[in-house]
Amino acid sequence: MALTKILVVEDDPSILELICMNLEAAGYQWMSFSDGDMTAAFLKEKDRPGKEEEIALAIVDVMLPGKDGFALMEDFQRKKIPVIYLTARADVDSKVRGLKGGAEDYMVKPFEIRELLARVEKVLERTGRMRQKLMIRDVVIDRENHVVTQNGKEVLLKPMEYELLLLLAQYRNVAFSREELIKRLWGTDYLGESRTIDVHIGRLRKKLKLYDSIKTIPKIGYRLEDLP
Amino acid sequence: MKLWAKLTAVTVLTVLLGAGTAGAAVLFRSVEYNRHREMESCREQLSVAAYAMGREMDRTLLKEYSPAAKNSYLDFLLQKFGSASYILLENGEEICNQTLYRLKDGEKKIWQEEQAWSRFQKLEDGYFVIAGQSIPSGLDASYTLILIRDISDLYRQGKRQLAEGTVILAAAMLAAALLTFLFVKRILRPLGELEAAAKQISQGWLGQQVQVKGRDEIGELAEAFNHMSQQLERQVEELSQVADRRKLLLGSMAHEMKTPMTSIIGYTDTLLHVKLKKEKQEKALEHIYAASTRLERLSGKLMELIGLYDNDSIHMEETDMKALFARVKELEEKPLEERDLSLRCFCEMEKCLVDPDLMESLLLNLIENAARASSPRETIFLTGKGSTILVEDQGCGIPEKEVGKITEAFYMVDKARSKSMGGSGLGLAICSRIALLHGAALKIESTPGEGTRVWVRLRKGEKGEDGNENGNSGKAKQAEEEADHSGGNSFAGNAHRLQQEGRGGHS
Repeated sequence: MALTKILVVEDDPSILELICMNLEAAGYQWMSFSDGDMTAAFLKEKDRPGKEEEIALAIVDVMLPGKDGFALMEDFQRKKIPVIYLTARADVDSKVRGLKGGAEDYMVKPFEIRELLARVEKVLERTGRMRQKLMIRDVVIDRENHVVTQNGKEVLLKPMEYELLLLLAQYRNVAFSREELIKRLWGTDYLGESRTIDVHIGRLRKKLKLYDSIKTIPKIGYRLEDLP
Repeated sequence: MKLWAKLTAVTVLTVLLGAGTAGAAVLFRSVEYNRHREMESCREQLSVAAYAMGREMDRTLLKEYSPAAKNSYLDFLLQKFGSASYILLENGEEICNQTLYRLKDGEKKIWQEEQAWSRFQKLEDGYFVIAGQSIPSGLDASYTLILIRDISDLYRQGKRQLAEGTVILAAAMLAAALLTFLFVKRILRPLGELEAAAKQISQGWLGQQVQVKGRDEIGELAEAFNHMSQQLERQVEELSQVADRRKLLLGSMAHEMKTPMTSIIGYTDTLLHVKLKKEKQEKALEHIYAASTRLERLSGKLMELIGLYDNDSIHMEETDMKALFARVKELEEKPLEERDLSLRCFCEMEKCLVDPDLMESLLLNLIENAARASSPRETIFLTGKGSTILVEDQGCGIPEKEVGKITEAFYMVDKARSKSMGGSGLGLAICSRIALLHGAALKIESTPGEGTRVWVRLRKGEKGEDGNENGNSGKAKQAEEEADHSGGNSFAGNAHRLQQEGRGGHS
């Protein structure tokens, strides 16, 4: 199964690597450019047959050498690639300009990596490009049918367990605190014990035999580890 | 009280005091004079009349007359001598009186001498001159002749003149007031314009001008005002330019800091939360290290640049330039060798009046810039001759249209390259600031692909005679003006000018 591919356009090499490193860990494929003109040329080239690489999303810096991020929007829209701007320009005018220009989201540097991943996931869901099948080792999560199979055999999960597994799989290799997991699964108005999460994690480990993969990270929380 | 009112009041008072006092004095004197003349003429008339009367009385056999005949005779004599203005006394008793005047008892005894004398008498119904004299005659009884003259007309005339004078004075005062008012209004009209212009300026409409009329003090004031207004506008414009540049500098500084911060936060966040392969973890640490050192370097350079804004940041002394070059070579040789670059130094300079630390920093910055532009196995030349220092490289060069901007803080021609070589974008800003403090000119010439030459021209004849602060400031200003002309204006330049003008204003 092909991994979802994300295009990253960023001129600072260290930040480019930071983004790509995290996308890779979260189970995405990526490709990158550090220059506006090259990005535009690449998008044009894709028109030719035989270059049908599907790009699900682009993360674009605004201030780029050559064509800037706002100018690239036209090319992305022609290819129907949703764009998330990731830039140091924090002024409202730039934000409004970016979002009105057609961007799906706008993030300001410095950013938190988990927020970026969450926004990537949300944009993918919103534009119907979300990963339909997620694989962790021998476990496959079929999001369309809400079915989890292991080695081809279906494993029955309670709804809450399914949601938890899905969340961990979406952000694989990223650690979440118990509070964060609860917030994302049940919303902010949950009043129960945060240790409830431990029970669900325990069941998931048992049912899917993911003792090695779902790790308890001291002082932080849980992480589903599956390095590509 | 408005100025016009004050001036008018003063004029009116002056007219009143001057003309009024003078007029009153003249009037009073003339009345006095006339009165004295009247008294004089009374005496004369009286003495003549008394003499004639005495003769007449001697000639007739008056003592043989009966008292009634004597009295009517004397009455007749009186009428003969004068109009109805005489009184005759016999032994102090009134025997004939043709006047309307009634003598008081006290007055009857005072004229005993044969010399006529007169006195002035003010009564309820008028002013009189009374002259009296005893008549020289051979008779037993003593006779006294008294002349009464009514001089009320004199005083009436004086009063009339006083009234007329008062009216004339009032008219004069009114005229003076009117003239002063009009004159002052006319003179003060430009002041009103000045006031309006000043109000406009205070409301932020700078550069107001007023029309200069005439060459009087107010004309001069208007001219001075116009000049002030112009200067004010110019200085405010300069200030706002400096503020703009400062804002720009702050903005670019924030941006420059944001990138390494983003890197550090992102990688530490990743290391904390994301499971990475071992080599990726190491890479993340490397990035964090690189970003932190970059931040450290940036703050160091920034401190250096800010430090150069202190007025007393320069300490000029006679410096052996050969030794300075040797020190620079020693400092730079090792790092350049690591990059496979070589440095050739050549110095023919004599002792110069410079700040050795700042000059060293200037040269190090220039050499580092040259090194960043150079490729391995190239050579950087550091040459000193006369009062000119030249740093030359064979590197990638600077595009022509960018040369003017490279002394601006955080301006980088090739951002990616400069950053990867450890550039902060502040080196040349520091260089131009140091050059400015020395009153030296910084000239950059570059051919893309062939290399860049940077000249530092120290001021000639700087040996000893004017190493003081002010001398330096003047030179710095001049050098800065040169920089302005060459288009290489920098943030540092303007701020410096401002400081100087501030200083100039206080001293």
